[in-house]
Amino acid sequence: MSTEDTTDAEARERLIDLAAEFYDQFAAGEIPRMELPTRTKSNIEYDPEKKVWVYGDRKSTRTANSVSGARKLLKASYTIDFLANQLDEDRSSTLRELYYLSESWNNEEAQFNSQDESNNLVEDLEIVTGATREDFHMRPEESGAKVMGPLLIREQTQRGDRDIHCQKDVGQGGYQIPNDTDTIEFLDNDAEFVMCVETGGMRDRLVENGFDDEYDCLVVHLGGQPARATRRLTKRLHDELDLPVVVFCDGDPWSYRIYGSVAYGSIKSAHLSEYLATPEAEYVGIRPQDIVDYDLPTDPLSDSDVNALESELDDPRFQTEFWEEQIELQLDIGKKAEQQALASRGLDFVTDTYLPERLDEMGVL
Amino acid sequence: MTSQQTTLGEGATTAEELAEGQREISIAEFFEKNKHMLGFDSGARGLVTAVKEAVDNALDATEEAGIRPDIYVEIREVGDYYRLVVEDNGPGITKEQLPKVFGKLLYGSRFHKREQSRGQQGIGISAAVLYSQLTSGKPAKITSRTEGSADAEYFELIIDTDTNEPEIGTAETTSWDRSHGTRIELEMEANMRARSQLHDYIKHTAVVNPHARIELREPGLDEPLKFERATDQLPAETEEIRPHPHGVELGTLIKMLDATDSYSVSGFMQEEFTRVGKKTADSVVDSFRDRHFGRELGWPARNGAPAADVGADIEDALREAVSNKGADATDTFAERVANSLTERERTTYSQLVEIVATVADEVGADTGKTFGATVRDNAVEAAWAELTEFGTGGVEENGEEADGDLDRLTPTLYELVDDATSTRKDDAAVHGLAERLAERFVALGDDGSNRMRLALDDLTTLVHEAADTTEEYDDETFGDTARENVVEALWSRMVTVPDDPPNVTEIAGDRDTASELLEAMRETDILSPPTDCLAPITAELVEAGLRKEYDADFYAASTRDAEVHGGDPFVVEAGIAYGGDIPADGSVELLRFANRVPLVYQRGACATTNVVKRIGWRNYGLDQPGGSGMPSGPAVISIHVASTNVPFTSESKDALASVPEIEDEIELAIREAARELKSYLNKRRSMAKRREKQDVLGRILPQMAEKVAEVTGREHPDIEGAMARIMNNVGVDRERDGETVTLKVANHSDRNEALEVTEIVSAEPEGLPDGVEPIEMDGEWFVNWNPEVSSGETVELEYSLPTDADADATVDGVDDEKLTVNA
Repeated sequence: MSTEDTTDAEARERLIDLAAEFYDQFAAGEIPRMELPTRTKSNIEYDPEKKVWVYGDRKSTRTANSVSGARKLLKASYTIDFLANQLDEDRSSTLRELYYLSESWNNEEAQFNSQDESNNLVEDLEIVTGATREDFHMRPEESGAKVMGPLLIREQTQRGDRDIHCQKDVGQGGYQIPNDTDTIEFLDNDAEFVMCVETGGMRDRLVENGFDDEYDCLVVHLGGQPARATRRLTKRLHDELDLPVVVFCDGDPWSYRIYGSVAYGSIKSAHLSEYLATPEAEYVGIRPQDIVDYDLPTDPLSDSDVNALESELDDPRFQTEFWEEQIELQLDIGKKAEQQALASRGLDFVTDTYLPERLDEMGVL
Repeated sequence: MTSQQTTLGEGATTAEELAEGQREISIAEFFEKNKHMLGFDSGARGLVTAVKEAVDNALDATEEAGIRPDIYVEIREVGDYYRLVVEDNGPGITKEQLPKVFGKLLYGSRFHKREQSRGQQGIGISAAVLYSQLTSGKPAKITSRTEGSADAEYFELIIDTDTNEPEIGTAETTSWDRSHGTRIELEMEANMRARSQLHDYIKHTAVVNPHARIELREPGLDEPLKFERATDQLPAETEEIRPHPHGVELGTLIKMLDATDSYSVSGFMQEEFTRVGKKTADSVVDSFRDRHFGRELGWPARNGAPAADVGADIEDALREAVSNKGADATDTFAERVANSLTERERTTYSQLVEIVATVADEVGADTGKTFGATVRDNAVEAAWAELTEFGTGGVEENGEEADGDLDRLTPTLYELVDDATSTRKDDAAVHGLAERLAERFVALGDDGSNRMRLALDDLTTLVHEAADTTEEYDDETFGDTARENVVEALWSRMVTVPDDPPNVTEIAGDRDTASELLEAMRETDILSPPTDCLAPITAELVEAGLRKEYDADFYAASTRDAEVHGGDPFVVEAGIAYGGDIPADGSVELLRFANRVPLVYQRGACATTNVVKRIGWRNYGLDQPGGSGMPSGPAVISIHVASTNVPFTSESKDALASVPEIEDEIELAIREAARELKSYLNKRRSMAKRREKQDVLGRILPQMAEKVAEVTGREHPDIEGAMARIMNNVGVDRERDGETVTLKVANHSDRNEALEVTEIVSAEPEGLPDGVEPIEMDGEWFVNWNPEVSSGETVELEYSLPTDADADATVDGVDDEKLTVNA
């Protein structure tokens, strides 16, 4: 996967350019610094051209003028050195490996204190260099996400190309999405649409009930907050195969954020929204309206749920008529429901009634 | 003392018996009963108190003689007793003075003096003598040598406990190595359990008396404790002052009235009090008159005044009243009196008497007719009756209809009440109040001539009565403010009467009158007492004293201006020492001083402690567990209160009483010093942060530079400039180009800096600017610049030097933490 065709040499070049920038700042008697867009909810804006949410104009400057700023820049310098060498040697590593690897650096000040710190730094470098972490040969630990449905692909593996049909050639678990989806080529498909499902339990229910087969649906398991590869694959399925995308989650604020990151892009990786987000993705449910209409078994909203919902009302990504109505309704009834709550009407209710009706309504079927 | 009350009904006999009984209590018994109050309640404490009294005495004696005190204190075990020796280098005392100074309890020149001195009640050293005598049975042994005398004198002194009279047992000459001074030796039952208090007392005395040298020897010390002199400056000499009118109490006042030679109140005030001249005395006397006699309310006769145009009526009435003086003289008299009255805003009875008298004299002189006392009285009564006409004259005169309903008072009062109360009041009610006031003023004359004379209290009562009645009948409220305003308006229009105030003897004889005078004195604005009777240590010496005894990092001190409590002036001083060798654990040490005497006991009961506890010390950078109470940390706080009358909680003078005025000043003094502490601590903290930042960045940035050099494959970059900028530093860099030397002083901080750059070079420098002269010393040249560099600017200092010469720069004027010298 790549934002554009960035070769290893180019990625390496960009990293070294950043180091050279620090060097020049030192040499000019200036304070070394790095400018980044402010990565908060208040600094993302809708790009009508690309139809995704990207960072706004607000910038924060990380300078060596403070102890913590200087430490971050020192770590950045060490990480640049490491990544440049990795590209030079055509090796790759995971984000977690980077974190542990820093322990081996001869400088304690440069070592990472947490996995989050190294993850964030890699994201910073992505933003500043305009390359992606895949360009740096950095992988996340695992994506965990799977696809099931009438789709034939060819994956370049370390052991040669493999043609795989995502229904016939795979087990009940489905096809495991690799970290770098640019290694996948779509060969053929009979799919009508893509359905991203939040929970493993619901995915298994759909597969067991043969929903993918019956409706020619590509069921993509998100597994919580979806990994970049899952989102990228979803976008490619939509863009390259022209398939409509729907998202099926729990009926709570955290699930709406999962939908948000599929459809609009996440705040942390807004610099990659253009390549990861599928703005056309639609939300199937569970909707607060469903809780009322189907009289689903519910849990009360906790304080943190209420805060999250209120925070979503402030989130520019959710400022649409549909979401405002649904969120306000949910705050009103004070309840939330899981996908599996549909089982209260029988195991087949979701595949026989709920989804066909809803998808028909949405014009997907 | 014992408190017993005379039982009612038994009368004077019991009281007399009781008084007799009291006279029979011997001084020893008195001492025994009161020793806790005097500071001798235990052997341990008795010793400390004895040392304290003797040392205070010695300090006072030397200072009064203008001698820098050199005091020696020794405590030795002698059998079952302890022997205390205190020596000073004072002027010495003669045999005649001796009993007075050391012997008689409650004797002391200071007892009636208003002057700052250590011992105030004169109870101290004689109590120690008595204590020693009572516990050991030994006399006090006193050696004294006056300046210039060949020999010293030695006395043994005991106090006759029946008569409270000192007796000198032995008197002989002896030799002594001091050229002048006094030595007192007391043996007493005691112990050294209060050793730490004793040491504290001596140490704190040294802190607060930096001009004194003090030495202490006691059995527990291997080496004597010596406190050397930190200054040669003696405390300023104090002036004795008379009492201040605001500071006396009724009993004292009556005693003073009894004792004075003055006849008049005015003379008494000027003679016996400080800050009272003729003018102030007059104000006091006027205020006294107002209280004693009341003021008089006057009425208008002026044309245009409400219900006035009374001139013609007065003239008529006067013509009626004067008889047998002939038409001309009568007319002239009546006309002139009436004219005088109509020209005046308002006229009181006393003023009327005076006007009638003046006019009568004038007209008498002009016409040759004599206006005798009877005529004058009649004239006054007639004119006053017209001025204060209030519908009472319902008698027909000369067949004309009497102006029985004429009321001159109500309209005048109406105007006044209307002005004084809010505009929202019902008009009829205001009129009603005015009428009721008028009725009551008129009624004042029921028991004699109605002069409309009232004291403020009576006026207030009268207004309240009138207002209450009006509220009842006119359905309108006159609240407290409205009533006060009416009283105020009336009182301000009333006039002090010209009557002579009672003389001093009369006042002294009547407690109520004396109380009126006291009130008048308190109510009159009088300048604060002079402060030359006080000898503050001064902020400078408070600090010097702390510096002498505490090895700290920081010292601050403050002296407040003199203030007054009661009639006594006082000055509060505070000092703070912080850090250094002061122990950091536990509460801060609090040093309390009153008139330069350390207070050792009863810390918890002392006003100074209360004030320290109520200050929020966290604001000033000290820890304060729980946000109140004693702060903790490595600090010493010293507080000195100097006054002509330091209020103590008890006779043992261990703790300051809580007097709000003094507490407020203590707080302000402490806060003043604490603010300096705060800015010091803030600076220290920010310096510590800066140092930490420098340490970390000084480590990190070269590593980062090395790393980016490695990644980019370039040389290690020069990071000095970036470092200096990051540190907000002042950087001094040297450049040498051939013979030209340039010192670049770059100020990266956000404030202007004034530096002192000193260059030490091994050859003679050339090409220096005007005003910069090299100074040669042992083959080295010192060059000194004082550049001022604005924030963000760089200044270049240039000169020439042979290329093989060495140069080394040192920079002052900027904190080390902010300075990067690369030269």
